[in-house]
Amino acid sequence: MEHRLYPWGGKFDKGSAESSVAVVTLSDEISLPKDKVALFGAMKTENLGVEKVIANIVSNPIIRFVIVCGKEVRGHRSGDSIVNIYKNGVDENNRVVGAKSAIPYIENLPVDAVDRFRRQVELVDLVDVTDESRILMEIDKCLKQGKKPFGEPLYVEPLAKGTRKESVHTEIGLHAGIDLDLYGYVRSPECV
Amino acid sequence: MYAFSREQNVVELGGVLFGGQPGQNPTVLFGTLFYGKQWASLGKGSLENAKSLVEAQDAVGDELGIPGIVDIYVKDEGMLKKEIDLVADSTEKPFSIDISASELRIKALQYLDEAGLLGRVIYNSINLGITEDEVLALKEHAPAAAILLAYNPKDTSVDGRIEILQTGAGMIALGEKNMGLMELSERVGVKNLIIDTGATPFGQQSAETLRAIPVMKNEFGLPVGCAIHNTLESWVWMKKNPGRGEIYGYCDSAVNALVPLMSGDFIVYGPIDSHEIVFPSIAFVDKLMAEGAADYFGAEIGENHPYKKLE
Repeated sequence: MEHRLYPWGGKFDKGSAESSVAVVTLSDEISLPKDKVALFGAMKTENLGVEKVIANIVSNPIIRFVIVCGKEVRGHRSGDSIVNIYKNGVDENNRVVGAKSAIPYIENLPVDAVDRFRRQVELVDLVDVTDESRILMEIDKCLKQGKKPFGEPLYVEPLAKGTRKESVHTEIGLHAGIDLDLYGYVRSPECV
Repeated sequence: MYAFSREQNVVELGGVLFGGQPGQNPTVLFGTLFYGKQWASLGKGSLENAKSLVEAQDAVGDELGIPGIVDIYVKDEGMLKKEIDLVADSTEKPFSIDISASELRIKALQYLDEAGLLGRVIYNSINLGITEDEVLALKEHAPAAAILLAYNPKDTSVDGRIEILQTGAGMIALGEKNMGLMELSERVGVKNLIIDTGATPFGQQSAETLRAIPVMKNEFGLPVGCAIHNTLESWVWMKKNPGRGEIYGYCDSAVNALVPLMSGDFIVYGPIDSHEIVFPSIAFVDKLMAEGAADYFGAEIGENHPYKKLE
C-alpha cells in the first residue's frame, strides 16, 4: 500500500495484503504467520502508540479485526487504553473514556478517525494472553468470518501540534521568552 | 558561551549539585537500572551484576568528575524492596526511583520511609498521571527531591510543556482546583524540584525537548534536563539497522552530549550499562562549557569538575 500518509510510523511487521486481521502484541514480540495476518507488532504507549495503530488500520479497510494480546505494558497500560478507546471513544478533552493508564490522551488524530476505527473493526481483547496457539485460534476464527472491506481507506493527516511557533517565523531567536544579549547573557526581553 | 541573567538555584543532595549557570557544575547523569527483560527475575547472579554496574558507574563518575545517580526502575511490587536495598547498600549517593504506575510509586514511598531512605531519594517523577492517593502519599512521605515531568500530550511545543508546569493545561487538579505541577509539588511539600522537559519522539516536536531547556531555566531558575535517549530510541531507521548495537552506542554518546550544550543540568541517559560510552562525552562537553564560563564570565569552577580534574 503506497500513500504519503501510510504508514504513520511505528515498528511492525507486514503480512498478507488480503488478510482482515491485525494483531497488537503489546509488550511482547510475537512472531505470527504472515500469510494470515495483515499487520502485527508491539504497542508500548497508551497515547502515541494507540494513535499509530488506529491511523494505520483505518487507512486499510480490508482490516476488520484487531486482536490485542501479549503481556500488558506495565505503567503505560497501553492494552487497557486501546480496549477502552474501542469500547468508549474519547471525551471532549481527548482522553480515552474509562482508561486507567497515566496519559491516555489522543491528540494527533481527528475524532473522525477514532469513530471510524470503532466502526471498522471488531476488537478481540486478549490482553495478557501470550499463548501463541490461543492467539492463532482467534486469528483463524476471525478469518473464517470472511468480512468484506469497510468502504474506502481513510488516510489521516496528523493534527497540527503546538500553538506557538512564532520563533520559527520571525526575527525572534530561540524563543519569544528569551533573548541572548550582546554580552552572552540569556534574559527575558523585558529585562533590560 | 552564555549565562542566564536570572539567578539559577542549585539543588544539593548528598553532596551532588544539580543546576547553576552553564558550565558551573558538572552534568548529573542518571543511569537506569533494572529496566528490560534481563532483569525479569532477580536471582543471585542478577543482583551481583546490578551491584557491579552501580559500582562501575560510581567509579567512572569519580574518575571523570561527573556525578552518577542510579535511577531504579521498578516494574513489579515483588521486586521493590530488593532493588532499593541493593542500590542503597551499593552506593552512598542519592538515587532516584523511576516507576510508571502511580499505585506502585505510593508503595515505594511507604517503603522508603520505613527504611529511612527518603532523604536520599529523587522521585522520578511527578507528572500529569498523578492521582489523589499519590498526592496524599507524597505529603506523608516526602522525598528529598522530585523531578517534574513537563510532558503535555496536548501541546508538545516549549510553551505547551511550560503550561503543564504552570497551569496543568486543564489536565491536573487537586480537589476542585486546577493547577500546574509546580504548584502541586509545592503544596505536597517537596522542597527540591528538578524539571525534566519530557523527551518526545521524532514527529512529536522532538527538538522542543532541547529548546525547552534554556527557556525553562530562564523561566523558573531551577535545574533542567531531559531523557533525550528516548528520542533516539524512537528512531525507526535505527531500530531497523542491522548493525544497531555498535552504531547505536556512537549515537547514544553523541545525543546525550547535546544536553549540556543546551545548558541542561542533568540527563537520564538510559540503561546504566551505557555508562562507559556516555560519561566521557559528557565530561568533554562539561569541560568545554566550564572553560567558556571561566574564560568569558570569570566563573569559578570547583576542583572536582572535569575542567580542573582532567588534563
